Amino acid sequence: MNELFGVSMTVIAAVCVALTAVIFLVMAYIAWRNPVMFKLGLRNIPRRKAQSTLIIIGLMLSTLIMSAAFGTGDTLTSSFGSEVYSILGETDEWISWDAQEHPAPREAQVIPIATVDEWKQQLAGDPDIEAIVPMQRETLPVYNTRTRLNEPSARIVSFRGDDAAALGGLRDTGGAPVALSGNGIAVNEDLAEQIDARVGDTLQLFYQGQPVEFTVVAIVPSNVLSGAVDPFAMRGGTVDFATFVQLTGRGDVADSVLVSNVGGPRDGLQRSDVVTERLERLLEGTPYRVVSLKKDLVNTAELVGSAFTAVFVVFGLFSIAAGILLIFLIFVMLAAERKPEIGMARAVGAKRRQVVESFLAEGMGYDLGSALVGLFAGMGVTLLMVRVIEHFGGDSLGLNLSVQFTLRSMVTAFCLGVIATFLVILIASWRASRINITAAIRDLPESNPIDPEASTWRGYYRAAINGIAAFSLPVGFAFFLFGPPGMALGLPLALVGLITPWFYVLRNADFAAPRSRRTGEPLPRWPWLVGLFVPVLGWVLVLPWYAIAILLVRLTRDRKPSALPRWLAVAALLVWPLAFVVAMLQNWRVRVPWTAATAIAFGIAGVALTYGGLDRDSSFFFLAGVSTLFLWAAVTLRYFGISERLAFTTTSVLLLALWYVPSSWLERVTGPLNGDIEMFFLSGIVMVTCGVFIVVYNADIILPALAGIGSRFGRIMPAIKTAVAYPLTSRFRTGMTMAMMGLIVFSLVMMSTINENFSALFLSDEARGGFDVVGLVNENNPIDDLEAALERGGVDTSRIEAVGVARVANQEEVEVENRDGYVNTDEGEIAPFSRIKVFGVDQGFLAAQELKLKFRAAGYDTDEAIWAALAAQPNLALLPADATVAQQGFGGGNNQRLRLKPLADGFEPFTLDLRDPGTGEVVTVTVIGQLKESADTFFAIGSPDFSTGLLVREDTLQRAFPAARGEMFFLKLAPGTDSEEFAKTVEAALVQASADSLEALLQEQQRQQTGFLLVFQGFMGLGLIVGIAALAVIASRAVVERRQQIGMLRAIGYQRSMVALSFLLESAFIAVSGILLGYVLGLSLAWVLFTTGEFFDESESVDFIVPWLQLTVIAAIAFGASMVMTVLPARSASRVPVAEALRYE
Amino acid sequence: MQVQALRGVTLQVRKGEMVAVMGPSGCGKTTLLNCFSGLDEFDSGTVLVAGHDIAHMPDDRKTEFRAREMGFVFQTYNLLPVLTAVENVELPLIVSGTRPRVAREMALAALERVGLRDRAHQRPAQLSGGQRQRVTIARALVNHPSIVWADEPTGALDSQTAREIMDLFVELNAAEQQTCVIVTHDPKVAACCHRTIQMADGLIVREDSREAMQAVAALGGGE
Repeated sequence: MNELFGVSMTVIAAVCVALTAVIFLVMAYIAWRNPVMFKLGLRNIPRRKAQSTLIIIGLMLSTLIMSAAFGTGDTLTSSFGSEVYSILGETDEWISWDAQEHPAPREAQVIPIATVDEWKQQLAGDPDIEAIVPMQRETLPVYNTRTRLNEPSARIVSFRGDDAAALGGLRDTGGAPVALSGNGIAVNEDLAEQIDARVGDTLQLFYQGQPVEFTVVAIVPSNVLSGAVDPFAMRGGTVDFATFVQLTGRGDVADSVLVSNVGGPRDGLQRSDVVTERLERLLEGTPYRVVSLKKDLVNTAELVGSAFTAVFVVFGLFSIAAGILLIFLIFVMLAAERKPEIGMARAVGAKRRQVVESFLAEGMGYDLGSALVGLFAGMGVTLLMVRVIEHFGGDSLGLNLSVQFTLRSMVTAFCLGVIATFLVILIASWRASRINITAAIRDLPESNPIDPEASTWRGYYRAAINGIAAFSLPVGFAFFLFGPPGMALGLPLALVGLITPWFYVLRNADFAAPRSRRTGEPLPRWPWLVGLFVPVLGWVLVLPWYAIAILLVRLTRDRKPSALPRWLAVAALLVWPLAFVVAMLQNWRVRVPWTAATAIAFGIAGVALTYGGLDRDSSFFFLAGVSTLFLWAAVTLRYFGISERLAFTTTSVLLLALWYVPSSWLERVTGPLNGDIEMFFLSGIVMVTCGVFIVVYNADIILPALAGIGSRFGRIMPAIKTAVAYPLTSRFRTGMTMAMMGLIVFSLVMMSTINENFSALFLSDEARGGFDVVGLVNENNPIDDLEAALERGGVDTSRIEAVGVARVANQEEVEVENRDGYVNTDEGEIAPFSRIKVFGVDQGFLAAQELKLKFRAAGYDTDEAIWAALAAQPNLALLPADATVAQQGFGGGNNQRLRLKPLADGFEPFTLDLRDPGTGEVVTVTVIGQLKESADTFFAIGSPDFSTGLLVREDTLQRAFPAARGEMFFLKLAPGTDSEEFAKTVEAALVQASADSLEALLQEQQRQQTGFLLVFQGFMGLGLIVGIAALAVIASRAVVERRQQIGMLRAIGYQRSMVALSFLLESAFIAVSGILLGYVLGLSLAWVLFTTGEFFDESESVDFIVPWLQLTVIAAIAFGASMVMTVLPARSASRVPVAEALRYE
Repeated sequence: MQVQALRGVTLQVRKGEMVAVMGPSGCGKTTLLNCFSGLDEFDSGTVLVAGHDIAHMPDDRKTEFRAREMGFVFQTYNLLPVLTAVENVELPLIVSGTRPRVAREMALAALERVGLRDRAHQRPAQLSGGQRQRVTIARALVNHPSIVWADEPTGALDSQTAREIMDLFVELNAAEQQTCVIVTHDPKVAACCHRTIQMADGLIVREDSREAMQAVAALGGGE
């Protein structure tokens, strides 16, 4: 895997390693400069072993998620890559007819062998080209006369032995050379397995319905020389060139030419660009084209790996977010536990910085341990996930998965874990260091110093100025979203933002004090050290700006105006870089209300994001911006004295309501907005945050009701009372834990619900379309009368109630133009012709089908009217469900196959031109309806390439694409007939056709989908570990914190069981609140998305389904695990010795 | 290493009596109180409260007995910060199975007795030290216990508030014949009691009368 989100993994790895190195350097510097505080921090780790273990488990999750995501990506990249090398072997490039530039009938799309020989002569001395091998290919049915097993679509190839010698020639599975002559055939391993072929077996190859006998002379590996090119169609074989030419009667021509570069299967790839360029020059003026086959496939392997990694990282974001909350919570709690110690250390002279350093030392101890554990745990999770993927979806991937971890990915995962944890610990440590020493020593609640400017406009102005100044860098970057005007606005802000962090570092230092108060203490030296010793980043981003900040502070510290000029005060609010000037001229000893300041900065960034979102039609930026504005509103209301409950509840309810507004409504105001999978993450974060605010600020309202219920249980009422009272008193930790549980449950509920509804839509019984068996006929051996052929083959046709046939023009044989410009959406950026498969169904199909339509054109009131029209008139067409562009918003993709806007019931019929690329002939059809999603599945599931297509009548297809040879058939069986068994008898009777039970195919599809869902759910469910660990940490901490209170409760008559129950109920209250929050928000959002046309064009085709069983299992696991983890702390609380606890301080 | 905190201590407290336990730090005063009240285990001996041998009761029964028959007052109040004054006071009643409405009435009555009826719905953090200790006393008395155990009830209070608290104890003792055992360092507190047990090294070494302690207190002892 070389890229993630479009950024080179090498760059990501280099940045991560550099940042980690900086972190280690900083820690080494702290250990050297401040060994006492460093040791003080480290020695805390073994103090409470159980707690430390819990912390490490909680902290490891970010690394675990990253390493599992990267490991899965590496595995897929490597497995796919190995498959490519194994199949292509020495072949690097591929020359074939360029049908796009040079339309021609299919039989004319060949390369004369004489032409290839000329090329060989011209390239004879080429230092980069090793071999040129012309090859003829056909897809033929093969029948083993000994085993009576057949394969309807074997890829049979043939080439001249001398040509292939340079590629190492054809070799059997033991490595011995294979010589082909006469009617000898070498069968590849995949075909041999299918028809149980052995050397000496007689095989029949069918061409134009005529069997020709061949003898198996060897079993060879499945690769390009034995017909295997497509990982999904590997069965094939090789026959002698002269014999094959005679069989097909096509003469000395090739369908394609293989080119091998100098070097082995892997090394040759490096010459691919040079060789491709040379071949392109050679082919100039000819109707042929060269494809860098191996390079393209290896790149595809990279893309698959990167895409999977990206998906896992996005899905892992919930867990990572929960993990970050946990890290913060843990360190806030550790700080609370150590408050008296910190207070004492501060009292005896430790500076805030030293307290931060001490915490950092402790945090890094946990961090390193957890990153290492997380790395290996992530590797273990990868192994597990790959096994599950292989079990459920191995066949559909067409790969042999072998687990692979690259050093680069693992180092990156480790570093990302270290960096994320370090940053959170840094913030938490900074928060912990800002304590009131007296309150800390006496372990009293923190009291804020009286701020005379609190809740005044003057104070708010101070907050605004400092907020803008301090956060200039991120706010400036947010403006970059505007495009060029935003750059003009954002660049000065971002430049100011490079200085302001240093200004705020210096602002509280002795250096910045007015002359009368300065003691001569030296400037902070660490920025110089970081600047000097961190190459490039330090030189560019630290040194010059720190120097400028020093200069500015030096200039302004003794030159403060008694009052700010009014014009400057106003201008600073309008021209934001001026805010920094005002911040410098203010009295630095007056306290800055940082909460309000941060919220204002967020608010401004929110405006930028909102505007940027509208400008770029991005749902993500727009809704992220608007959500940020709500946060600003809540903090502002709070600043001006509105109660917390009112401020946070009101804004949260309003913001939640906004998220529930269907995008079609929103887009009436905002214009079109595009969203993708990232919206899933954003919605979770914002909605769960709102939900948590609403619950923690309002749960006390429902307390009397709970107490009332508790009173019915008599003696456990006190346990309930204390269980609910404590969490609501510690809103911060309760809210954080609830958010962690809520986030994960939200993601799991959304995923299960959406999956269930998609399954119902695509894989329901409707997808059988009224038929029971689907068959695929070999294109070289058409069947004229299916029922007669079945009868001849001994099939009991009395069990068949109806037969439908669909001729198929594959997408490379078809060009479709949405000619009348009816609903073009791309403003002509895309080529006028689209390539899409076309199914031409016969009258038998039309009479027997039970397919459903999503939309009908004006004049057709029912599905029956549509089918009747199709049966009666030629040149009518139905669109597949996936042909239209889904509406924009949450998960809407851009399906531009036909560049059509979404349709609606009663749309005006419109025309499409079907053009035959071979002849250039055009047939115009009129679209009168669009099939439902289940009908898409019906056609896709029976097709080898799993694709959907236009539906027309058979005669229309034959007129439009006379050369199309694809054929499918559908059988409707008498009730009670076993479709799987019947399909087997059909397959045995028709050597040139495969047959499958539609029910079995749907079940297999379901099984694979369930498997992938399981992998994703399991991966996302890892986040539950965080929530559960948080509950356990909180409960353990509560036992320590409340030891004396437990003693008192026991003294006044609480039984041990009641104390334990109280702790369990407390955890249960938090867990249930979090789970319910995730449940309600996840389900309701899924419902809104499904029923308001977010995923689909209209709601009418969707019935919302709630997967109660899955959801119950998720809730039970989350709740059960939470309770199990709380049992130990609850038990230890109940066993607290009463007298000792009462003495505890 | 094993430390013998109490060695062969015998003490009898009559109903309606107020007894103070004094002695230097580490002499075993609090351990004596904890053992007598059933909060702590002891190796040998018997504790009879209102005729019940709590030494040999299983933990659950002992806990129930404490809820019904004993009240506790501690130096550090030990109120639940998350509950209001009245909720703190009614807790022992609720755990002993009293119906919530009755428990609430009794708790309010107990707060009335200690002069804090108007502060019933405030949380401990909103009360002064003296008020918190009154809530603790109300909680100790709410179930009309046979005996109230008080461990340094005035230890965290200023002298004026300490006097008010002791006046309250005396008043309750006089009015309701409430039996109290008070562990204290303060001779003024001891002077409010009928008699004072002096301890040293885990042993009861002397018993002083109220008058003797009043004399000590008058001389400024313990200040």
